[in-house]
Parts: sequence; C-alpha cells; structure tokens
Amino acid sequence: MKRLNQKRIKNLWAIALLAVALVTPTTWAKETDQLVLDGSTTLGPIAKAFAEYYMAKNPGVNVTVNESGSGNGAKSLINRTCDIASMSRFMKAKEFIAAVNKGVMPVAHVVAMDGLPVLVHPSNPVKALTVKQIRDIYSGKITNWNQVGGPNLAIVMISRDTNSGTYETFHKLIMTHKVDGKKIKEKISKKAEYVGSNGGIRTRVQSTPAAIGYAGLGFIDKTVKALKVNDIYPTRETVTSGKYPISRPLFMITNGYPKLGSHTHAFVTLYLSEKGQEIIEDIGFVPVTKY
Amino acid sequence: MKITTRKMLDRSFSSFGLFSIVLMILALLVILVPIFKRGSTAIVFNGTVEHRRFLLERFERGDEQEMASEITAIQAAQKPVYDMIEHFENRQRKYLDALNEPLTKLAKRSDSIGRLTKRRLKRLDKNKPFLTNVKTIQKLTDRLKGHVDSDNIQAEIEQLDATIQKIETQTKNLVELKEAIRELLGPAPGETRPVLLRKQYGQTRWDRAQVKLHEVLYIEKWDYSNEGMGRKVFEPRVEHFRGTEIEPLFDYMETNTEAMLRPQLTFYWGFLTDKSMDIHIFGGIFPELLGTVYLTLGAILFAVPMGVIAAIYFSEYARPGIIISFLRICISTLAGVPSIVFGMFGLAFLLNGCHLPKGVLAGSLTLALVILPTIIRSAEEAIRAVPRTYREAALSLGASRWRTVVTVVIPAALPGILTGTVISMGRAAGETAPIIFTAAASVAATLSLNPLQVWDQPTQALSWNIYNLCTEHEAANEIQHVLFGMTATIILVVLFLNLFAIILRARISKKLKGETT
Amino acid sequence: MSVTVLKKTSILNTPSDNLVLSSRANLAQNILAWIGQSFLFLVTATAAMIVLFIIFYIAKNAIPFFQIQGLTEFFTSAEWYPSGDPPAFGVLAIMLGSTLVTLGAIVVTVPLGVAAAVCLSDILPFSISQTIKPIVEILAAIPSVAYGFFALVIFAPLLQEEGGRLLMVGWYLLAVPFLFIITIVISEMLTFKITHESSRKTARTAALFVLGGSFIALLIFVGNTLGNLTITTGTNALNVSIILGIMALPTVVSVSQDALQAVGRELRDASYALGATRAETLIKVIMPAASGGIFIAVLLGIMRALGETMVVWMASGNAAQIPSPWFNYLQPVRTLTATIAGDMGEADQVTGSSRYHVLFAMGLILLMFCFLCNLVSEWIVSRQRKKLRGEN
Repeated sequence: MKRLNQKRIKNLWAIALLAVALVTPTTWAKETDQLVLDGSTTLGPIAKAFAEYYMAKNPGVNVTVNESGSGNGAKSLINRTCDIASMSRFMKAKEFIAAVNKGVMPVAHVVAMDGLPVLVHPSNPVKALTVKQIRDIYSGKITNWNQVGGPNLAIVMISRDTNSGTYETFHKLIMTHKVDGKKIKEKISKKAEYVGSNGGIRTRVQSTPAAIGYAGLGFIDKTVKALKVNDIYPTRETVTSGKYPISRPLFMITNGYPKLGSHTHAFVTLYLSEKGQEIIEDIGFVPVTKY
Repeated sequence: MKITTRKMLDRSFSSFGLFSIVLMILALLVILVPIFKRGSTAIVFNGTVEHRRFLLERFERGDEQEMASEITAIQAAQKPVYDMIEHFENRQRKYLDALNEPLTKLAKRSDSIGRLTKRRLKRLDKNKPFLTNVKTIQKLTDRLKGHVDSDNIQAEIEQLDATIQKIETQTKNLVELKEAIRELLGPAPGETRPVLLRKQYGQTRWDRAQVKLHEVLYIEKWDYSNEGMGRKVFEPRVEHFRGTEIEPLFDYMETNTEAMLRPQLTFYWGFLTDKSMDIHIFGGIFPELLGTVYLTLGAILFAVPMGVIAAIYFSEYARPGIIISFLRICISTLAGVPSIVFGMFGLAFLLNGCHLPKGVLAGSLTLALVILPTIIRSAEEAIRAVPRTYREAALSLGASRWRTVVTVVIPAALPGILTGTVISMGRAAGETAPIIFTAAASVAATLSLNPLQVWDQPTQALSWNIYNLCTEHEAANEIQHVLFGMTATIILVVLFLNLFAIILRARISKKLKGETT
Repeated sequence: MSVTVLKKTSILNTPSDNLVLSSRANLAQNILAWIGQSFLFLVTATAAMIVLFIIFYIAKNAIPFFQIQGLTEFFTSAEWYPSGDPPAFGVLAIMLGSTLVTLGAIVVTVPLGVAAAVCLSDILPFSISQTIKPIVEILAAIPSVAYGFFALVIFAPLLQEEGGRLLMVGWYLLAVPFLFIITIVISEMLTFKITHESSRKTARTAALFVLGGSFIALLIFVGNTLGNLTITTGTNALNVSIILGIMALPTVVSVSQDALQAVGRELRDASYALGATRAETLIKVIMPAASGGIFIAVLLGIMRALGETMVVWMASGNAAQIPSPWFNYLQPVRTLTATIAGDMGEADQVTGSSRYHVLFAMGLILLMFCFLCNLVSEWIVSRQRKKLRGEN
C-alpha cells in the first residue's frame, strides 16, 4: 500500500512538473517558422489552398489560417497577432488610423478579383434583377417574389454577418444610392437572416426555395442560381472588365512591405506565380494578372 | 369521480410517462442513427481506383505493382472514351480549317470587310485553346453581318456564320462534356497536371462517382414553363451529339463505369489517422483529433489538481459557515455560466489581457474553467462516499488528518475521482464555444506530437471544425461524408469516455458493496 | 525550526518514537497542519473566486458601453446595426429571441422531462429504469456542436419540406389522447352533482357528445391549419426550441428524478393506504412535496437552453428582428449567445469600441441571469433543508 502510494505521489510530481513546464513558455525556442493568416471567409478558399500548397513546398513552415471575418483580420494585423490579414474589403479609415497609431503600416496586395453573385434557389424562375430591385428586397420594400416577376412566395433574405467584407461590399455597392445628389445608406431589413460565412449562405439558399443571398464567386455551384444583375451575368469576364456591378478586389494586407526572401513575402506573392493563378482560377475566383 | 375514470386517468398518466420516455429514446435514435449511418461511410465505402491511387501517391500505402496493373486495366477501359473525344475534336478542327479558304478570300478584299477580316485573322493562334480561336472567328462573322453591302457576299457570310456557330456550340458542348468526364475519371492522359489536388484525381468514392456519372450523362436544367416554382429536368447529354463520333460514348460510359473505376469495398481507417489533404476533400481527420486530445488533456491537467484540492478541502476540512456556503454558491454559479461567456472571458482576459497567443494553452485554460465545477463536485462526492470507518481507522493509528487524506481517503476515492474526470473529459472534448476565440483555426499545421511545442499553436479542434466545415467549406456538398464522419467521431469519443466512466462507476459500487457486507 | 526536528516528528515513519509528542513537536505539527490547511483553503477559494473574477472582468468590459451609449437604447430599442453609421445597439429583439427559444425549449422539455422522471422513479420497475438511465446520460453527453449539426443539416431542410405535416402529426399524436381524457373528465365533473342515477347517465352522454364533437372540430381545424402551413425557412425559432428542448431534457429528467426519490417512502405508502391511485398519489402528494426540486430542475433546464451557443448560432437564422406576431416561432431569431459568438470577430478589441463592449454587456446579462437562477435554486435548497430539519 505504502509503496504504491509513493509511486503515485511520484507520478503526481511528474504531472506537476509538466504543468510548471507548460506555463513557463519562455524556456524553449520555436523550431518552426510560423505564418499566421486571419480574416475573410471569402478569401478562405484561396488562403487555405495557398497554405496547403505552401506547406507542401516548405515543410518547415507552419501556416495557420483563421477565417473569422475581414474585420477580425484587420484587428489581428493591428494587434500584430497575424502576419497577413486577408480581407475582402480595404481597411477602413478608422482601422488605418488605429494601425498607424500602433506603428503598423498596412500594405495591400490585391490577390484576386471577385464578383458578388446574387444567388437564388434554382427552382426560382426569376432570372434577373436590377440593383434597385435587390436594394428594395434587402431593405424590406419588396417582400414577395411576385413583385419581381416570380411566384407568390415570401422572400427569405439571407445576408452575411456584419463582420464580413462581403457584407460591407454589398452594403456599399447595393444598399447605398444617391437621391438628389445625396448619398443614402439603406439599412438591411431586420428580417434578414445572418449567416457567418459564404458557404453558409450557399447552404441556406440551396435548401430554401424562397431564399435570396449573396456570396463570393468561388462559392457558386450547380445547387444555386446566380442572377443577372442589371442584365449582366457574373462571369470571370464581366467581373474582370468591371461590367458586373458588384465586383471587388480581394486583398492580403501585410505590415509594411514584407522583407524579400521572407516567408510572408513568398506567400503574398504566390498569386503572381503561374501555379498561384491556376489555384485561384480553379477555386473559382478571377486572377488579377494573366500571362 | 367514478372509479373507472380514476383508473383511466391513472393509466393515461402512466402512459404519458412511458410516452415521454419513448419519445426521448426516439429523439436519441433520430439524432444518432443518421449521423452514425452516414458517418460510417467515411470509413466503410466503395472506394474506386482513384482512392487507391491517392493513397499510394500521397501516403505511400498500397502495392505499387498491383496499382500499375490496375492502372493499365483502367487505361484500357478508358481509352475508347478519350479516342472518341479526340476523333470528334479532330473533326471540329477540320471544319475550322475548311473555313480558312473563304476567310482568306475575304481578307484579300480592299474594303472595310477585308480590313476587319485581316485584323481578326491575325489574332488566330494555333497555341491558343481551340475554343478561343473559334470565338475570334465567330466575333468576326458577327461584325461582318452588319457591314454587308452587296447580296452575293451576304449569302457567303451568312453561311460562314452558320458554320462557325455550329462549330462553336459543338465545341462548347464538348468542353462541358470533357469537364464532366474529368471530374469523374480525373485528368485525361497527356493533360498537364493541375496544381490543386482536387483536380488531380477523379472520384475516389463510388457513390460520388455515380453522381458524377449522372452529370456526364444528363444535363441538369430547370423548367420554368409552369406557374410558380421551376421543376428540375434532366436532359440526356447525348442529344447534343447525335450523329457524331461521340454518340456511342454515353452508352459506353454507362456500361463500363465499373471497369473504368474498379470500385472495391474499402475500409479506410486512415480517416482517423491521416491528415487532411486539400482541406478535407481527401484524407482524414487526424489533426482535428489530435487538437481535441491536446485541448482536453490540457484542460484536465489544469482543472484536476485544483478541483481535487478544492474537493478535499470541502469534504475534509471545511466547517459549515458563511464563507463555505458562499464558496459553494460561487462554484455552482461557475457551473451555470454559459460556455460562450467562458470563451469571451478567455478572449478578453487571457488573449487581450495577458497576451497569450491564440492556441492550445489559452484554449485548455478556458476549457479548464468550464469543467472545474464538475470535477470539484464529482471528486467531493467520491471523497464523501469513502466510509467513515476508513478515516477512523487511520486516525486511530495516529496518522495526522492530512496523512489520512493522502494515504487512505484519496486512494479509496480515486476511482470515483477518475470517473468524474473522465466525464469532464467528454465535456471538454465536445465544447466548442469556449475555444472559438481562444484556440480554433481553420487550417493549421498538424500539431507536433511533442506537447511542449504545441502550447502556442492554434488548432482545428474536432468540434470547431464540424461547425467550420459545414458552414464555411466551399465544397461542403462534396465532403458530406467527412462532415458526418467527424460528427460521428466526436459523438463516439464522448460516448466512449462516458461508457468508460459508467463501467468504472459500476465497478466501484460493486467493490463498495462487497466491502461493506 | 530545523528540518531534523520535522523529520523526527513525522510520526508514522518512526514507530519507535514516543507516541506522546513533546510540546515543541506538537507546535511544529500544528503550524504545519495550519499552513497546509490554509494552502488548501487558498486553492479552494481561488477555484471558487474564479467566477467572481469572471463576473468582474465581464462587467469591467461592459461598463464602458453603458457609459458611452447609456442604458435606454440597449434595453428598449430593437434596432441592431452594430456596424451601421451611426451604429445602433438595441438589444431588445435579441433578448426577445433568447427568451423565445428558451421558452420554447421549456415548453418542450418540462412536461416530457417531468413525466419521464416520474416514470423512471415511480412507474417503471427498478431494473428497467436502471437500463434507461444511460440513455439519458448519452443524451446529455452528445456535444452541442453535434446537435447544431443535426439541426442545421438534417432538421432544418426536413422542417422546410415536411414542416407542416410534421407539426400536424405531432399535434394529433399529443392532442388526441389528451382531448379524449379531458372530454371524459369534464363530462364527469359536470354531471357529478346530479344525484339521480339514470338522468346523470343521460346528462353525461349528452355532455360527452357535445364536448367530444367540439373537440374533434377543434382537433381537425388545428390539424388542417398546421398541415397546410408552409415553413419558408427551416432555421427558425421552432427548430432551435425543439433541439434545445431535447438538450435540456437530461438535466430536467435527472434532477427531478432525484427530487422525486428524495420524497420518502412513507408519504407514498400513506397515500396509497388512503385509497389513492398512483396518479393521484404522484400528482397530489409526491409532486407537491418535490416541487422545490422540480422547480430547480426547470431552472437548470432554462439555464442550459439560454446558455447554449452552437445550436442557436447554426440553426436559429440569426435575424435580429422581433417576429411578427412576436410569438411566431416559424421566423428566424437571434439570441444573445449567438450574437456574442458571431460578432466578436468584428468587434474592435484594440481601441475598445462600443461594438466590443456591447457584447460584454450581453454577456453580463447572461451571467446575471444565471447568477439569479442559481441564487433562487440555492434558496430553495436551503429552505427545504430547514423544513426537513423542522419536521424531524
């Protein structure tokens, strides 16, 4: 009994030592290089595919991708908790000021172009909407599909969460309009459902016949139908040429221009390489430059 | 009231009780059965040759020679398909080449038609994709139609336009067909190897392959001719290719899919031990499992010593009084704190306040807070369950209070404490809300097996990644089996821990019974 | 005090020593015991005080919000546009959303849970209820994210496609037996006073027919209305309420079962001896005696439903609206927990904007509510203890 007990106490000591070792993190050095990305879920597929590609190429490097929204990306960059902020919108003035005050110089790299297709269920006969109609739907003025030439069905609005660049872009390009030379920002109706990610929007739209939503170009597949907006269908061509009214660049933002030869530099310039462009195109976004 | 009515009421009361129990069991089945049923397909499924090729190439598992012979077999089976496509392509090329003559004739004219044609013809390039060249000519004929001044040219141009139109639709159809076939079988021989892993392989699973085969054979369209919502209709793709070299392709593919993909019943245990490839389109969930294990063990490491000490104090030393009952209220309040508030506190205090990095350490500390009350309670119960006689015997031998506790009470209560610990492990493994802000990441390198290197690494813990993948993944429809597999795995992990605890408890109660009688 | 003394005085290792300790050694031992005990107390107090620290820290982060924005908007406005320009931080709709889903969960879970507890403690034989107990434990053990996954991936599409019919079947399943019993009981009650045997019988038959007919009409009317209902979105308050109800079920069952079992054998025997049926015994004697414990079970169920995050985040739709009418469970709602989880990402943690602090204000509300529930249940427990002591 006693011997057993002593053994147990020894074990306890070992555990305690381990605990102490765990909470004194300064005693050992990091062996691997780390690259942390934080930000948009729209850029998620690109960031994740780049990360896998990069880790396969450079086995010693740990690339971490967080998809928590563009706002969060900016915040992490300002707090220096990430190396690259992936954002589907540019930094806001407030964020920029906060960054500069903290000694962070944001430098943006446009890695790809993206359109915001307006999605409906494929069984919905509506094929095209104007920007004004979309605005009226989201501001709650149009509540039934029969007001825009569809069946008699109450519209289920689905929006991205307010912490997403997708939401900001949508808000800027669709919900803001000029009346008598004055900019008016319409509020998105309170009835709108909020979803935390682009994939979530597609999931909701594909399972809800009455739904309308918007998501990044890379998230369209056969299960949802993209609408013509102002008579332009979102394709790579119309997005690149800017004909499609809801297009935007996607950014990766670093603190200062990354040092040549650093992992950060190699990562944010991946989009310039042929492989990088192929990845972007295969995932469904529009590469910025074409060779 | 009549006695019969009272009896009836009594019976209906009992049956309502039974009904609610049946409903509870039913709810459990309704939730668990589909998850387990579809989750099991992550491990047991009909794997195609592409699955085996993937395993061999990426994880170096499988027999190379067998693979080589299999590949020769499937290549032989696939050859007719690619041959047919090639013939068709050559035919289209010939059609386009035949247009050369009338076009150069047009280009020789000195008027605007000639100039336009010349400019456009210069853009033709053999190295460009076929469809691009077709489109260039198509644009030309389109423009020319507006330029026409005399009748004899008009007929010629219209004929040109019709031909190029036909080539264009055929080529477009072919591109769609080739894309559908590529998704089913993988890249065609001779094609350059794509960068993205998901494009390098065909369908690895037979059930998905059949879906894709259907997409090869039929085009999904929506019919809006009726009032109200549209209806899904499937148009046989073969209609586009009637009378061409490709027409027999569809019958061939339908009858020979098995020969081309060679499905086999597969037990893919690697789902639990492989890392994921191309964000869970291939491979397994090992990094997630490992992340969960680290977070859980970390939480136990912090919570158990503290919890057991508190339990010892409460059961052995504390004298009832205001302070003790206050402390008890505090602990029961801690048990009632919503898990998201723990997450919030972890973020505000550990990350923003103490500047810990987002990672395993911060996550396990937060989780430790979540499970602390459970551990204190169960440990206290276990210690209290130790018979008084044990303590009395030790004390009468002259042992001090502390010695009694350490050498007699704790060992006797150890199984009980362990039970509580195991149950809290289940709780910690399943919690999501506390780790959203403190430890979770969408993609992170697989944690190293050395615990000292992982404390500052964020991880894609199982619970978080279920949420993340099912709402965020761009190809969530293709990886349903992974989603269900993950959910089934996390439920199983928690259930096994609980089962373990139940068995442990049963053994203790047996032991206690045996000892007291 | 030297180490040697300590060694000498540690008694069990040296049995040859005198059993009677010198006063010096005694003092040393006492001091050591005191130090050890205070160490234990310190650890325990730390463990217990953590919750106070959490409350303090959340409150500290919440107060700036009230300083900047004041209290009125937070509690009385339903405008939730945290990223708007100017932002609006009305949390009324979100609090209502939390209330709605919690209420819904309670409506689902309390009747079922209490009935199941009664069944497990009093109706089923011991061996069977012992085998059913693990099922309750499994239900409790399933991680919330798995429930959320089920709610989003399986249940929401099902509700959307078959929702009306599902509700109809549920209604018939519950209402038919219930209304049947009610009909019989009410007609009994109405005619109880009539003394004449044969006239009482005819009156009862008449009452049966009248009541039965009207109830059947009600049954079919409600059933049809439900059957024709189209649910436009499957991620709504109803979905979440049902799932949360199932999640809270184990807590309610096990706590109320404990409460029922704590009521002694004597009360039951006495009631049976007076000729009461089992139902009468349970409803009129046992359940009132166990009411405190059952109430605690309900409180714990409420806390579980209110504090749940993943299910509501995934499957409630997250629309910050007051449904119209306000009790419309078929519309999406947003809850406090889901808002915290979803909005924390954007909240500017560096400069500490209102948007960051408002989430802590929400967390504080959740915490306060849970604290209150806890105090109430603590009070009930202590009252019961006093009562028991008084009776003894």
